Amino acid sequence: MYCGLLLDPLCPPAMKPFKLYQFDLVARMKNSHEIRDAIHVFIRLDYDEVKVLNCIWFQRLRNIHQLALSYLVYPGATHKRFEHSLGAMELAGRIFDVVTNPENVTDEIRRLVPEITRENTRAYWRRVVRVGALCHDIGHLPFSHAAEHALLPAGWSHEKIGMDILLSPEMRTILNEMTPPVRAEDVAKVALGPKKAGSLRFSNWEAILSEIIVGDAFGADRIDYLLRDSHHIGVAYGRFDHYRLIDTLRVLKSPTSGEPVIGVEEGGLHSAEALLLARYMMYTQVYFHAARRIYDIHLQEFLTQWLPEGKFPTDITKLIEITDNEVTAALLKAARDKDAIGHDAARRITTREHFRVVYQRNPTDIAINPEAGTAVYQALRQQFGNEHFRRDAYKEKAGPPDFPVLARDGRCHSSMLMSDTLRQLPVVAVDYVFVSPEMRQECEVWLENNRGDIIRRKEEEQ
Amino acid sequence: MTTRLQKAALLCYLTDRLVANGSWCGETHIQKSTFFLQEEADLPTEFEFILYKHGPFSFDLRSELTSMRADGLLLLEPQYPYGSSYATTENGRELQKRFPKTIDRFRLRMEFIAQTLGPKNVAELEQLATALYMMRKHPNKSSDRIAAEINEVKPHVSVPEAKRAVPQVEEIVAKLKALQ
Repeated sequence: MYCGLLLDPLCPPAMKPFKLYQFDLVARMKNSHEIRDAIHVFIRLDYDEVKVLNCIWFQRLRNIHQLALSYLVYPGATHKRFEHSLGAMELAGRIFDVVTNPENVTDEIRRLVPEITRENTRAYWRRVVRVGALCHDIGHLPFSHAAEHALLPAGWSHEKIGMDILLSPEMRTILNEMTPPVRAEDVAKVALGPKKAGSLRFSNWEAILSEIIVGDAFGADRIDYLLRDSHHIGVAYGRFDHYRLIDTLRVLKSPTSGEPVIGVEEGGLHSAEALLLARYMMYTQVYFHAARRIYDIHLQEFLTQWLPEGKFPTDITKLIEITDNEVTAALLKAARDKDAIGHDAARRITTREHFRVVYQRNPTDIAINPEAGTAVYQALRQQFGNEHFRRDAYKEKAGPPDFPVLARDGRCHSSMLMSDTLRQLPVVAVDYVFVSPEMRQECEVWLENNRGDIIRRKEEEQ
Repeated sequence: MTTRLQKAALLCYLTDRLVANGSWCGETHIQKSTFFLQEEADLPTEFEFILYKHGPFSFDLRSELTSMRADGLLLLEPQYPYGSSYATTENGRELQKRFPKTIDRFRLRMEFIAQTLGPKNVAELEQLATALYMMRKHPNKSSDRIAAEINEVKPHVSVPEAKRAVPQVEEIVAKLKALQ
């Protein structure tokens, strides 16, 4: 067995003895493998799933921080994509079991989605969903989302890289050797979903399976990251009763479109509201914390200078060589050497001399001019020079939290009719203009005297 | 090049006209109307549409609608029994006044689409928009083949329903072209 493992082409040489004793030996001796987890207590994988866990691309996630440089703001935020992916798999399996339980499926849904309770394919699709959830982040760049859009060539994303990994010959071999054998295309489809794999055609069933993993409302990815991030950071915003929520999830016919989608029984509506409120709070208080965002910008500046041609490689055999560890080592070195490439950005991160907020989006200004942030940013740059300013603007992309709710009388209604809370849920929107610390005081005074005029300058046709 | 606020003004105008023409103006109405206008009437919105669960659908447009809610240009109102409707706010109406030329260029075509698609239900919108999607994708295929394609991607749309949708779309497109 030992010799066989040494010949395993997916196992990097340095990891082989570790891999043997930590995973394979144990896994081969018993049919399932348990991993202790801070959120779900135990996560269990069978022998086939452990093979995915052991592949170099999944092990790479041990070295990708879930929340990039957020640990500079919240010291506990040092958790990695590795444990989040395991958590997403655990939850996806639980959701699959609940929504496909024959007792929870109506005849109408059975007609619309015949695969849902088909016993002979159930084990296959359960496997696809769990492995899809396990691998949904497998293509992440160093520091997760921190610099993704600027540092990949046009048309690339971590999802596209993830698809390349899942469809690689090595991964196909692992998936094909599972019991039952799994098609890599099925895993890639449900792991990415229609939003990120728009070129692929999704059946109702496949769309539901991808909703289990990456759905806007109740995806296992979202449930896990909210719980996990709030746990590690030490904030209560992200917590909600996910046990109750998952237990009440159902495949229901949408009252708007008539199509089958994931909804919730009326008894779980408050848990669903709590999840969506948690999401709102975590986005506004944690993910879009101003200091966290400017660290991302400085990191991006460093990487643009440090990476060859200013971009991450998209070739998966090259990407495997770059994790947060390699970037951090280079960043610390550059911060110490004032002649090094990327020194200024690196220094700002390591010495906390990052740019500071000089303006941020607020309802008063937006009511006057929806593009107030753009106007202020342009005016400041014109007055003081481009190099002193940075901007970070983001608005939520998802639609309203509209999902079917199964009422106690058996009828289905839209959540937007059943919940005052969801109707009032604000859209997450941030817009920060940052200034270099050296210029902060002067800019604040100037902006105070000119803000009214700047915001009133509206784009208008004559 | 159309700016973000010009696009927002066009979407506010479309929303107003859908409501004025008796539509309950859910997201599907805005999605499918914009699809027809963008693809057949040169509306410069530049959204990417894919074939999704309700026919052609744009995640970019969905993001823009959410963004417009964040900016106080659109709001959601409960709409029994469907869910939620879009409506413009006072700020959304003010925004339209700032782009009279842009709106004038498309006023007739937007009015026509609002009259034609506004009162339809989601199932009808799905059939028509999917038919247009397939006709654009396979411009040389016969009506029967297009209907078969629609039925293949949307099994809940029967072949007879799909066959009825194709000439309706041809008529809509012809009228839109005549208004240019």
